[in-house]
Amino acid sequence: MTAAPAPSAHSAHSAPSAPGSVPSAPGSPGSPGPAVSRWQSARFRRRVFAIVIFAAMVVIAIVMLYPFWYMGDNSFRNQGQFDQQSGHSLAGWTQLFQTLPVVQELVSSTIVCAAAIAIILLVATTAGFAFAKLRYRGSGLVFLLIIAAMMVPLQSIIIPEYVNLARFNLMSSYTGAILVYAALGAPFATFLMATYYRGISDELIEAAVMDGLSYERTFLRIALPLSLPAIATVTVLQFIQIWDDLLVGYLFLPTNDRTITVGLAVLSSGRTTGIPPLMAGSLVSAIPAIIVYLIFQRYLIRGLTLGMGK
Amino acid sequence: MSRIVLDAVSKQFPGGATAVSSLDLEVSDGELLVLVGPSGCGKTTALRMVAGLEEVSSGTIYIDDRPVNDMEPRHRDIAMVFQGYALYPHLSVYDNMAFSLKYRRAVPKAEVKKRVSEAARILELEPLLDRKPRQLSGGQRQRVAMGRAIVRQPRAFLMDEPLSNLDAKLRVQMRAEIAQLQRSLGTTTIYVTHDQTEAMTLGSRVAVLNHGVLQQVAAPQEMYRNPANLFVAGFIGSPPMNLIDARLERGSSGPGGSGDPGGSGDPGGPDGPQVVFGHHRLGVPAQVTAERPGLARYLGRNIVLGVRPEHLSDAALMRDADAASVIELPVRLREELGSDVQIHCGIGAMVHHGEAALQDVTSLATLVARMDPQTALAEGQQARVHVETTRLHFFDPETGASIRG
Repeated sequence: MTAAPAPSAHSAHSAPSAPGSVPSAPGSPGSPGPAVSRWQSARFRRRVFAIVIFAAMVVIAIVMLYPFWYMGDNSFRNQGQFDQQSGHSLAGWTQLFQTLPVVQELVSSTIVCAAAIAIILLVATTAGFAFAKLRYRGSGLVFLLIIAAMMVPLQSIIIPEYVNLARFNLMSSYTGAILVYAALGAPFATFLMATYYRGISDELIEAAVMDGLSYERTFLRIALPLSLPAIATVTVLQFIQIWDDLLVGYLFLPTNDRTITVGLAVLSSGRTTGIPPLMAGSLVSAIPAIIVYLIFQRYLIRGLTLGMGK
Repeated sequence: MSRIVLDAVSKQFPGGATAVSSLDLEVSDGELLVLVGPSGCGKTTALRMVAGLEEVSSGTIYIDDRPVNDMEPRHRDIAMVFQGYALYPHLSVYDNMAFSLKYRRAVPKAEVKKRVSEAARILELEPLLDRKPRQLSGGQRQRVAMGRAIVRQPRAFLMDEPLSNLDAKLRVQMRAEIAQLQRSLGTTTIYVTHDQTEAMTLGSRVAVLNHGVLQQVAAPQEMYRNPANLFVAGFIGSPPMNLIDARLERGSSGPGGSGDPGGSGDPGGPDGPQVVFGHHRLGVPAQVTAERPGLARYLGRNIVLGVRPEHLSDAALMRDADAASVIELPVRLREELGSDVQIHCGIGAMVHHGEAALQDVTSLATLVARMDPQTALAEGQQARVHVETTRLHFFDPETGASIRG
């Protein structure tokens, strides 16, 4: 018994010849065989690659979105429904609003975030412009120190910060927490803004100076409007960081003015509180960050990719 | 309009590099002076010092007889057109043009509108006034940059290679527009470029810089005909002047002879000096020796011979080519340019390779000739090349200076 010869990949794709016709040899002049095969192959590879990428993105999206679905789904249950994973009710939400001053905590979080981000932007835009566009002695060294400050973890300086704020009578106040957040966020924001301003042509700044503007007005009229993507990036990143932070809020804010994140931590540490109100609180806490991200996402992508090409 | 004077102006950067060295320059009221030179020669630094964007290390800059070294750029009342146009991307064309008037001084709105409209009309920008710079082509952006300078009605324009980002065709068109505009406005202008064609066509005078040192200031034709030194000779002209290491000898009894170092050939006489390179020998006409009495000092010494490509022609196309002015050279390359032909010939001698020569062909040792397209010369042939000896240039090989008086 002889084995039939296996068809080649090429012959598998080629159409059968008409009876009596002389098949052209592969590769001979006028034969489209190999070229068509290569084209088909390239298209096939592109399609497979696209499917793989799409599948990977779907998986990543599921991984990212699942916690939100889990939080939303379980927030509409009571503890019994949660344990059995069946049935829905508003018990979780009711319990959340009975246990926590949610509105007050959201207001506190907003005040702290807004004030800290305002200070960070004020410092970062002016300092970033100065580092990027003004020439002065020691500029490189100071910039290096600022980058070094980015490397310092919060936990390692929290005790000195505590002592400093206590000395200035800023404990248990918005001011203390806002200053700590601003101090922690300013180095990275300055670095980002300086990088962005370096991308703005020197000629543009010089053109404004030649047009009669002082450096201060050049900053306000030219550099600042052009740096909106970077400002949006700083805003979103700092908002998420400050909004979600527990440690600073826990240490430096009074109980009456605690942020939503601190409130949730208190809720989760309670013995009697169930999972559904915690899920409801987590959802409430996550929504503002999502809204801020959605508002600024167009600028955020441009800001995050700055310096990655012309 | 104003007069700008640079008096021994120098610029040293903190690292010690000297960008501009003791530059003396005077730009008359309404004149367009072109600063030209290769990259890194200091021309842009000089311009930026006039603008006030660079500090002056030593020397004084005067605008209308007033020293401005310590004056802020915004108080100098000078408009600058940048290489990259520097249009404000977040503002419309109108706002870009009106920008300086809005912030510089209190110009009434009606006046701002009138000036912008007038500039837009001159520059044919009227339909584009509402667009943002990113919606404009390169040529349109360049015109907006010009418009922004014009509306200010400044004392002087400074232009830093404003055409270098445009394609060749648009560059020629914009060059003509800038020249016309400058003449019609009559505003004192300093124009920086590395393109010698731009310099020659635009400038009422041209200043050539190299390594921060002023080489020559002259009207374009004067500079072309009488370059002050090897650098200018090699830089001005395209293709550049052929510069050959040669020797000036006393003439022999006849042209093309073996030479007669001990002979009696007085400059200008029948046995006048001959310039010798490789095994070639060219008689120097009496007219040339009369115009350049300094040549007598170089008899028996090495010189650098300069010949413009257009002063070399195919002797076969001439009826009465003087044998003393003809040399035989092998043709290495023929380049068709349409209006004329460039013939590259081997000369069997060293091409002068000072940095000024700007031609990296030492090893090839070729002579470039721009000839009539009717020439039948082809690669591999032996060409009889006629040299217009009355148009020869001579340079001192040590100092590089042109040998004249």
